[in-house]
Amino acid sequence: MLQLEGIFKSYYRQKVLEDVSFDVPSGQIIGLLGPNGAGKTTLIRIINQIIEPDKGYLSLNGKRMTSEHLKNIGYLPEERGLYKTMTVENHALFLGQLRGLPKNDAQEQLDYWLEKFEIEGWRKKRIEELSKGMAQKVQFICAVLHDPDLLILDEPFSGFDPINVDLIRAELNAFRVAGKTIILSTHNMKSVEEICDRAVLIHKGKKIMEGAIHDIRSEHKEGVFSITFTGNMIAFATALWAGYEIISKEVHNDTTFTVYLKMRGENEFNDLLSTLLPAVKIISAQEVLPSMEDVFMKKINAGKEVEHA
Amino acid sequence: MRKIQLIAQRELKERISSRSFLLTALLGPLFVLGLVYALFSLGGSEKQHWNVLIMDKTEIMENKIAPKQDPRFTFHFINEFVEYDQFATLDQFKDYDLAVLINEKIISNKQVIVSYRELPSESIQRRLIYHVERRFEEIMVKQFTDLEVSKFREIKQSMNFSFKNTYDPKNEINHKAAWVGYLFGIGILLFVFLFGMTILRGVANEKSNRVVEVLLASVHPRQLLTGKVIGVGVTALVQFVLWGLIIGVGLYLFRQTFFPDLLDPTLLVEQMSQDVAQQALDKFALTARNYNDFVDLVYRDIHFTNMLLFFVLFFLGAYFFYGSFFAMIGSAMGSESDGQQYIIPISIVLVLSLLSGYYVIYHPQTSLAEILGYLPFTSPVVMMIELSRGFSEGDVWKLYFSLFLIFLAGSILFRLAGRIYKNGILQFGHRLKFRLIIRWLKNS
Repeated sequence: MLQLEGIFKSYYRQKVLEDVSFDVPSGQIIGLLGPNGAGKTTLIRIINQIIEPDKGYLSLNGKRMTSEHLKNIGYLPEERGLYKTMTVENHALFLGQLRGLPKNDAQEQLDYWLEKFEIEGWRKKRIEELSKGMAQKVQFICAVLHDPDLLILDEPFSGFDPINVDLIRAELNAFRVAGKTIILSTHNMKSVEEICDRAVLIHKGKKIMEGAIHDIRSEHKEGVFSITFTGNMIAFATALWAGYEIISKEVHNDTTFTVYLKMRGENEFNDLLSTLLPAVKIISAQEVLPSMEDVFMKKINAGKEVEHA
Repeated sequence: MRKIQLIAQRELKERISSRSFLLTALLGPLFVLGLVYALFSLGGSEKQHWNVLIMDKTEIMENKIAPKQDPRFTFHFINEFVEYDQFATLDQFKDYDLAVLINEKIISNKQVIVSYRELPSESIQRRLIYHVERRFEEIMVKQFTDLEVSKFREIKQSMNFSFKNTYDPKNEINHKAAWVGYLFGIGILLFVFLFGMTILRGVANEKSNRVVEVLLASVHPRQLLTGKVIGVGVTALVQFVLWGLIIGVGLYLFRQTFFPDLLDPTLLVEQMSQDVAQQALDKFALTARNYNDFVDLVYRDIHFTNMLLFFVLFFLGAYFFYGSFFAMIGSAMGSESDGQQYIIPISIVLVLSLLSGYYVIYHPQTSLAEILGYLPFTSPVVMMIELSRGFSEGDVWKLYFSLFLIFLAGSILFRLAGRIYKNGILQFGHRLKFRLIIRWLKNS
């Protein structure tokens, strides 16, 4: 769907993006991750053609991107603004038409979304009369009104209550099912794990990681296993003895525990199970994949360590 | 183009539907009309008695004029023609307030020139005209017809009276007209400042509430700026049209009610055909009071079509020129308070522009005045002054050249503003430095 090839961007000798390349396949949600100042917003602005890259190019569906492609892109920036004195309807129609939608089509689309979100009563309200959450919804509608093939969302869940987070999340899934592509820039790693198919991690202007969410987590696993059992904790620890390292434990009640441990030496998962089975009753046992947050922290901290070295 | 139109329409709708627009559109012209009324009502000359010298070289009038003594005039005859400068300077004429030149071909050309030291009020002018016309009616009837005077009045042609300042017969030092031009110039700068600030605030608001990021994902920064400037400019023109209409209707009503045209030839003939002319004149003069020359200036001397046309053209030029500066500041400022200080230099330039107009009123023929007429910073005011004075046929090119220069400078500045807008509109929280602006200008 979208290809970025060798994107460079600097502002007055300060490099903001350096040779960033990746593909965004159709019908997927891709998480664009990175700490503050990593260059995510610059990259998003480049995809939206708000600014031009110094070097490199972008293509959409195999064709070099031009301003004509903007009508296929929907954008919800992190810092959201609306014209406060305009009504919801006028605002949405204005932005829809700017995206190339004829007025009648924009009106139809607006009717559809207002009905879908059950907010028809807001139509004639001025933006300044809306609460922050309500305004966020209007902004989301404005971003999708022209039915874009590529949707770029920068922190789309910020400002929403859990009910509306679910609502937006459901809409994003519906978009994915409909074959649309979504780039999601967020610091909320839980959301990334839950709804993203892939992720790209950018740090200090460089792409430092890319791949499917499950692959990324698998690549960064550290041989941590979780065992949930009933029995005696001392018996559990005694059985393991020197071949394993207990990292942490959760106490569910007097006899039920979950223990996180790492294996030492040549031990494998089967060895662990055969060691424990005589000592306690195992309820569940599985290898623990690191969360995206763990991966994120690890990658960023690794970068810092390299710098200090 | 479609996107520019959409942005311009949005701007126009938003501005026009605002309360401040309607208030300005109503209160502004009413304030101007109130001012005009006050100026009209200040009254003209308080002079009660006028010494009139009638220069009748061929003695057509036979040293006679009014059959009855008029307390307001004393007529004196001289059978020679006296030049303006002689009448103005020689001691022997210093006691005469007015000089009426009866030329040799007056019977055919009907032209009468009245030279004044101090402009008489319209009622005095009208009365003088009445006396001269009546005398010529007698002469014409006596010499050329067998008709009764009353019958002759019905078919006669009115005479054309032209009142000239004896110290400035060619109307070279036309300060009054120049002041009117100056008022038009002030109007241009006022509108430019008001709507330039509207551009600045609009750009700064879009920037501070970040809506600009959404917009720029749909349109090019230059399109956005162009749409905004056009939208605000059209708003200004709508405001201007409303001002024009309200003031125009107001001036018309003034003329019909408080300040009727005392010198209207049809009115004059109609009244002179009545025996009660004297009473009518008195009554009329009473209702109309003694007008000051500002009334004359507004209703007779100003060519409103020309003035309004060039007002709009120079406004547009100045709007693009100064508006570009406002757009630059709005897009470049890191915070609103940071940008406010950059309004001061523009305001100073606007004030200097006003001062330059003042200079040109009193030093019209200097080379500095000519240069100021071409400088885009000052030309809107200076050229409105020159226009109100009137251009000779050979000098009209100066007006068009000045207009060309301001549009040229405006379009160049607008391009530069586009560069700064493009680079600055997405920069937040920085301190605005001159070096930064130069950098943005270089980065096309």
